[in-house]
Amino acid sequence: MEVTVKIFRYSPEKDERGHYETYTVEAHENERILDVLELVKGHKDGSLAFRRSCAHGVCGSDAMRINGRNMLACKTLVRDVGANITVEPLLGLKVEKDLIVDMDPFFDNYRKMLPYLINESPLPADGKERLQSPEQRARFDETTKCILCAACTTSCPSFWASEEYYGPAALMAAHRFVFDSRDEGASQRLQILSETNGTVRCHTAYNCTNACPRDIHITQAIGELKMAMVTGNLE
Amino acid sequence: MGLNRNVSLSAGLGYKGGGPYLTYILHRIGGSALFIFFTVYILSLLGLESMQALMGNWIFQTFMLTFGLFHAINGLRISILDLSPKLIEHYRTAITIEWMVYVLVAGFALFVVFRNAFGG
Ligand code: SF4
Ligand code: FES
Repeated sequence: MEVTVKIFRYSPEKDERGHYETYTVEAHENERILDVLELVKGHKDGSLAFRRSCAHGVCGSDAMRINGRNMLACKTLVRDVGANITVEPLLGLKVEKDLIVDMDPFFDNYRKMLPYLINESPLPADGKERLQSPEQRARFDETTKCILCAACTTSCPSFWASEEYYGPAALMAAHRFVFDSRDEGASQRLQILSETNGTVRCHTAYNCTNACPRDIHITQAIGELKMAMVTGNLE
Repeated sequence: MGLNRNVSLSAGLGYKGGGPYLTYILHRIGGSALFIFFTVYILSLLGLESMQALMGNWIFQTFMLTFGLFHAINGLRISILDLSPKLIEHYRTAITIEWMVYVLVAGFALFVVFRNAFGG
């Protein structure tokens, strides 16, 4: 089928502001938007810039706005969005070129959550693993699935207003460790989350939950963090 | 170098977030409506005739009730879900129920406004 794709273009050397360019390509309805972008880059305009790596929804590099909503280009089929497609960069992050945004503020916020296991206690007597029951593991299973694509954070109106807000993805990183029975840094992280740029800026717009390509119940996980901050209960 | 990160109002409102995002936007409009309502109400209590006339105006009442009631009912839904995070996974059902309650309550309120304005 013939697919018309309108793409946001911006080149810092040439443009003061961005503009849109429209291309027409032949694509199958089962092809992905990433394939369509590759067709444009390969056959129409080699200067088109976008990020991609795994092409299978694992690395999280190709989140972008497709027909007005954040999605992964490699997980979205042409038949899901129709033959008239608009592709734009994520909102709330500086555009460096075409569909490529500056991810530094996103990863800075991620790092603020201390996204690693904190446990100063001596290892168990056998010197091996710190064991955990299947139930304890299941408690934070959902938030281990995050691939740091930024689709959630850049769909959030609070993040649009200020990149100081840690954003849903960083909060998911906090959730992943706060509810891990092997971790001892929960109070430290909950203290960070209680600051002005923490959970208090989540106003439950649900854009994050709807944008997440891993189907993580983000707003629910943020709700659990809010409750843990109030009650101190990590069950 | 790079385009700044600022998100314009039109870009923000144009984001296709669906029903839940719509309630988020309406909640902000409703909050602003309540601010206007209380300002006018307090000024009318101070005896400003123009404000008293505005309080009695059916167009003003319709606007305030339409958006103010939405803010109140949506706020109730948000509070309930905030207090029971386990229910958040059913947020779409909660929003559907919220709309049903809103239509009933706002419908009754507007019926009273219109009856008082035009009901002889
Ligand atoms: S929570 Fe989902 S949308 Fe957000 S960064 Fe992780 S995978 Fe992407
Ligand atoms: S290219 Fe890796 S997630 Fe899409």
